[in-house]
Amino acid sequence: MKGAPFSFLRLGLVAQNTLREAVRQRLLHLFLGLALALVLGARSLRDFNFGAPELKFIADCGFGAMTLFGSALTIAATAQLFFSEIENRTALTLLAKPVWRAEFLLGKLVGVALLTALFCALLTGLLAAVLWVREGELMALDPEGFRGGRAVSYAMVALGGWLQWLRLVVLAAFTLLVASFARTQVFAVVCGFGVLVICHLQHLAQEAYTRAGSAVGVALGGLFGGMFPNFQVLSLADSLAAADLPAPGTMVRLTAYGLGWALAAGLLAVLSFRRREI
Amino acid sequence: MKSRLGLALLVCAGLALAGQVLAPLVAEPWRQRREREPALRLEPGVAAAGQGVTLALLGGFRALVADAAWIQMYARWERRDLAGTEAFARLVTTVDPRPVYFWLNAARILAYDFPAWRIEAAGGYDAVPAAVQRAVNEAQAAAALELLGAARQRHPDSVDLWVEEANIHLNRRGDPLAAAAAYREAWARPRAPFYVARLRAEVLRRAGKRAEALAWLREIHPALPEADLGAGAELVLQRIRELEAELGVPAGDVYRPDR
Repeated sequence: MKGAPFSFLRLGLVAQNTLREAVRQRLLHLFLGLALALVLGARSLRDFNFGAPELKFIADCGFGAMTLFGSALTIAATAQLFFSEIENRTALTLLAKPVWRAEFLLGKLVGVALLTALFCALLTGLLAAVLWVREGELMALDPEGFRGGRAVSYAMVALGGWLQWLRLVVLAAFTLLVASFARTQVFAVVCGFGVLVICHLQHLAQEAYTRAGSAVGVALGGLFGGMFPNFQVLSLADSLAAADLPAPGTMVRLTAYGLGWALAAGLLAVLSFRRREI
Repeated sequence: MKSRLGLALLVCAGLALAGQVLAPLVAEPWRQRREREPALRLEPGVAAAGQGVTLALLGGFRALVADAAWIQMYARWERRDLAGTEAFARLVTTVDPRPVYFWLNAARILAYDFPAWRIEAAGGYDAVPAAVQRAVNEAQAAAALELLGAARQRHPDSVDLWVEEANIHLNRRGDPLAAAAAYREAWARPRAPFYVARLRAEVLRRAGKRAEALAWLREIHPALPEADLGAGAELVLQRIRELEAELGVPAGDVYRPDR
């Protein structure tokens, strides 16, 4: 694309179109339905709960559903939305017009980011509602136990949703990076799940190499570990108490970390996609 | 081919550079989180846990995974499988260290059930020499106390953990002085129930430390609210009088409550 300058408007149009296309997908409905069912059904799983206070258990189920189904949705939707444009040749038509490849690819990323934002907002809202209703019931049953008012910090619940979204955006950017050079959608999906596992468990691998005392292992572990974000950092919302809310500075850093990785992976995806033959 | 390799190297270099720039942003929150969460460290329990921890770490279903593992632990407990029960008990506290319930019950199993199983497996209480029984009790109590120590790192303000430690010292190790020290720690925790303070005095008295018991009761009595029946202020005063009589405290030195 030469001549026309980079346009955020065109990027926005691609994002809008990506989102519109995504919400029509049955895949989204399936994962959303499963996640909603799990959040709503968390109360019926109380019988299997031994240790955690009930509200914390419900919150765990809700955030677990967000992570599991959100990750599956993000990887599958990103790969599908990208490859459908390639396979249906719509990308060819689009890029023949004055549209930058960067606008196309980053538009896809923003579209998926909006999709995951809707997913996380919906589930976080539903989780907060379930917690609110159950907390009200518990307060009525045991007023003494809630002498100080409500125990759940809903700011903490919102923070949990925000961190989940950051993770999903980073995951989408990495899936897009793989898709930018992959030949098949299946390869991109498999690599996306691989990235998910690496990002969650890389710290354990690095520690294992360090303990083993192998210099080569430590060097390779450090190198590969440094190339992937640590998703465990973005799970700080572990408690429901207002006292455990991270400081605003920490939140800014976590947000910068998540968005920084998404931007880096997104820009590298653009770099790779620019050299791709469509 | 050359161009693809160059691109792959460029992408890797870009990711490594991003990692170098972004990692320092979260170094401190990550350090704090790892200190709090055993599942995020490569500890023996985590290494042995396999899929359970992986699911908990990947999926976020920590409470559910811990509950499922707790049920698995009970299946082994019913079969009196020492190794399996202990492995699952430690797994549960690793995956989800937040509920005190898991720590307490795991410690109780180690301290109370395991010695009984080991002694019965060795021929029963009549066949196993008393010295061996004592050694088994000591070893299992030590394992339970070590677990409670780990629990306190996660729950420094838990009264229940100190009370359990005191009970193990008292009932398994037969060491009332260690129990008294643990009850004192329990009493120092926020929202400690009043009975903890009374128990400390009682174990001191049983250990023959009546003067210490008296001093302790005199120390706590002013802090006991008379309106609260659970505080047992009257009962404590009665015990003070009994101890003063037993110790022959002169009339001029007897305890006189301010109120």
